[in-house]
Amino acid sequence: MFSDVRSMTEQSSDYTTDAYALEAQGLTKRYGDLVAVDGLTLQIKKGEIFGFLGPNGAGKTTAINMMVGLLSPTGGVVLINGQDRARVPKRSIGICPQELVLWEELTCAENLIVMGDMYDLPRTVTNERVRSLLADLALSEKANVRVSQLSGGMKRRLNVALAVIHNPDIVVLDEPSAGLDPQSRLLLWDFVRSLKNKEGKTIILTTHAMEEADALSDRIAIIDHGKLLQFDTPGNLKKTIGSGDIIEMQLAEREKNEAVMVDLKAVNGILEINEASGKITIRALNAVSLLPEIIERVDATGTRVSDISIRENTLEDVFIYLTGRGLRE
Amino acid sequence: MTVKFLSLAIKALKQTIRDRRSLFFLLLFPVVFMVIFAFAFGSPSSLGTGTAPHEIAVINLDQGATVSTNNTTQHINDGASFTQLLENITYAQTDTHMFNLNNVSSDQAQTMLKGRALDAVITIPENFSQAVISLANASARAETTSDIGLRVINGSTAQLPVNTTLPKQSNVTAQVIVEGDTGSSAFGAAQGLIFNILEQYKSQIQATAIRQVDATLAQNQSQSNASIDYISAAVQPLTGARSLTLFDYQAPGLIVFALLMQVSSVAQDLTRESDRGTLGRLKLSNMRSFDLLFGTLLTWIIIAVAQILLLLGVAVALGFEWSGGANSIGLAVLVGIIGGIASISLGLLLAAFTTNERQAAQLGVLIAVPVSFLTGAFFPLPNEILGTAFGTTFQVYDLLPWTQVADALRQILIYGSGFGAVAVYVGFAIVLTAILFVVGVISYSRVRLRPE
Repeated sequence: MFSDVRSMTEQSSDYTTDAYALEAQGLTKRYGDLVAVDGLTLQIKKGEIFGFLGPNGAGKTTAINMMVGLLSPTGGVVLINGQDRARVPKRSIGICPQELVLWEELTCAENLIVMGDMYDLPRTVTNERVRSLLADLALSEKANVRVSQLSGGMKRRLNVALAVIHNPDIVVLDEPSAGLDPQSRLLLWDFVRSLKNKEGKTIILTTHAMEEADALSDRIAIIDHGKLLQFDTPGNLKKTIGSGDIIEMQLAEREKNEAVMVDLKAVNGILEINEASGKITIRALNAVSLLPEIIERVDATGTRVSDISIRENTLEDVFIYLTGRGLRE
Repeated sequence: MTVKFLSLAIKALKQTIRDRRSLFFLLLFPVVFMVIFAFAFGSPSSLGTGTAPHEIAVINLDQGATVSTNNTTQHINDGASFTQLLENITYAQTDTHMFNLNNVSSDQAQTMLKGRALDAVITIPENFSQAVISLANASARAETTSDIGLRVINGSTAQLPVNTTLPKQSNVTAQVIVEGDTGSSAFGAAQGLIFNILEQYKSQIQATAIRQVDATLAQNQSQSNASIDYISAAVQPLTGARSLTLFDYQAPGLIVFALLMQVSSVAQDLTRESDRGTLGRLKLSNMRSFDLLFGTLLTWIIIAVAQILLLLGVAVALGFEWSGGANSIGLAVLVGIIGGIASISLGLLLAAFTTNERQAAQLGVLIAVPVSFLTGAFFPLPNEILGTAFGTTFQVYDLLPWTQVADALRQILIYGSGFGAVAVYVGFAIVLTAILFVVGVISYSRVRLRPE
């Protein structure tokens, strides 16, 4: 089904090479027999928010580390703005790693100033950037507070600020909202959107939070076992697992699930039927009109529906469909 | 625009100053050692005993003397005989020699004495043989006159040999100088033995002279003592009138110990940078390897200067006999910086191969403490001579740059020596540090500063 991902992505793209902020061509990383990234090929457009999704150990961080130059690829090429990555000034990229990478003994402002110095920014420019970034990320009051005294959410926001202190064209955010409370997450989302909308930056976002990827990303790549599985807009991705809505149903007697599922397969309009965690999940066209018949058939089996709901396809359905439900570490 | 290495140095200094554990380890820990050692070894120590050979040098200036007996003339050198005696003498009921004689020049002996490579230096004066003859003659005269007097009292003068004559009286006196550090227990033990041996040597000379007289007069007589002390020995402290303590020896060593503590701190700091990912962040920036390495060097040199000044101040306050003025401090700081750079280099080497902060700290201490002992920071070490070069005897420990730094600091701070006197130490310290620095920088750069 996804054997020709590359041709598909090429078809969906009407951009020229100049329009790409970052391109990976056959990017591969091997550790002995383990292939962490397997011939990854994708193009990221200038000024877009690009979501990078995959389960734990899928190869997302390895791929990103190769793209930004922290890791040498075993094979393949990375082009930034059409040029070999090695030739591109380092200040074109800013990366916010998954872990909190901060100098705990320094204050928020001192952390940012050190990185400003490392990118050769004039001190006046650095000072202005420090002021505006701390304000945008609601950290102004903590400017002169040592990082060791900040809360986890504040540290994570400072982690993001450090990635953009030098005003890079491409910003890589690796799980930026992991562990954030809802307020901090919304603040961070606003900040990410403003980087794109106000400053025209290209943003590469890896996340486990489907809601975050769906809300922020213009296009999404789903990767697993180091391979690109799917690459498209969130809307198109949702369509790839088929049209229709999802009916989730719970029976009063779970032991009758199997019998009910066998019976419902005969219903016209039901495209797919699965069971997970005791719930029956039905994907169907015109789901609302099928509800009376479904309830009737359940009653005929000698049990009753204790809970039922209808929702649209989500990115999570796509993700689970593509990568499987098995938990991996 | 701020120079990057300067920005990194300021960052690292702030981190160190704000980290109490680090400050304790670098400053307070060596100060505590200094205080303990000052109390334990700050007064002249009691004489040590033992049956190990003492390292000494004998400077024999004896010109010798000509002796005429039975119409034959003979040139003798009692200084050489006494030297031979020192070389051969063993501890009672053992085969262990009391002394190991080092064949060195007077200047070399002085240098070795200051570095405690020697326990004592014995200088036999030019007229030693003359004084021995004086002692022997005086004993013979006393014995002869005593014997004649007895015969007169007994009324048996007719039995006197026909050619009885009294030996000439010359009254030449000589003083053997035993030089050493009076604060050293090893010197105390060595000089005690030397004094005893010299007394026995004198007694033997007297006994021999008396036996010869008695043989001539065919009569046994008890030994008589000469009233003049023809041969005496005097202790000469190493540095004039000052009496050094073991603490005076240890204080410069403790400064080196503090500098060696940097090994652990440097390794820990750099490993923390890679462990926490901040090194990766820096590597993504315009920072060059030079900026990180030079910034690190600058930070730790500043800390080294602070350590040297603080510990010297504490040592002086605790009674360290510091010679020299501001110049000696300046020179000591410069020499100490070499030791600091050596520690930073070893720290870089460790940081290249340790995977986390705790490992770096533990390994750093595991290396720094034994190395401190090997440099003789706390106690003088037994001789393990490799060879001699540039007029200096080199030991196994001299291959460590910190040993050279410790020796130079002792010369500068205890004896007030100038650069000329420590140039050899400094030269070797620079060469050894440069080797370690190159190894450290290459290892760290290859392992940590390149993309994985």
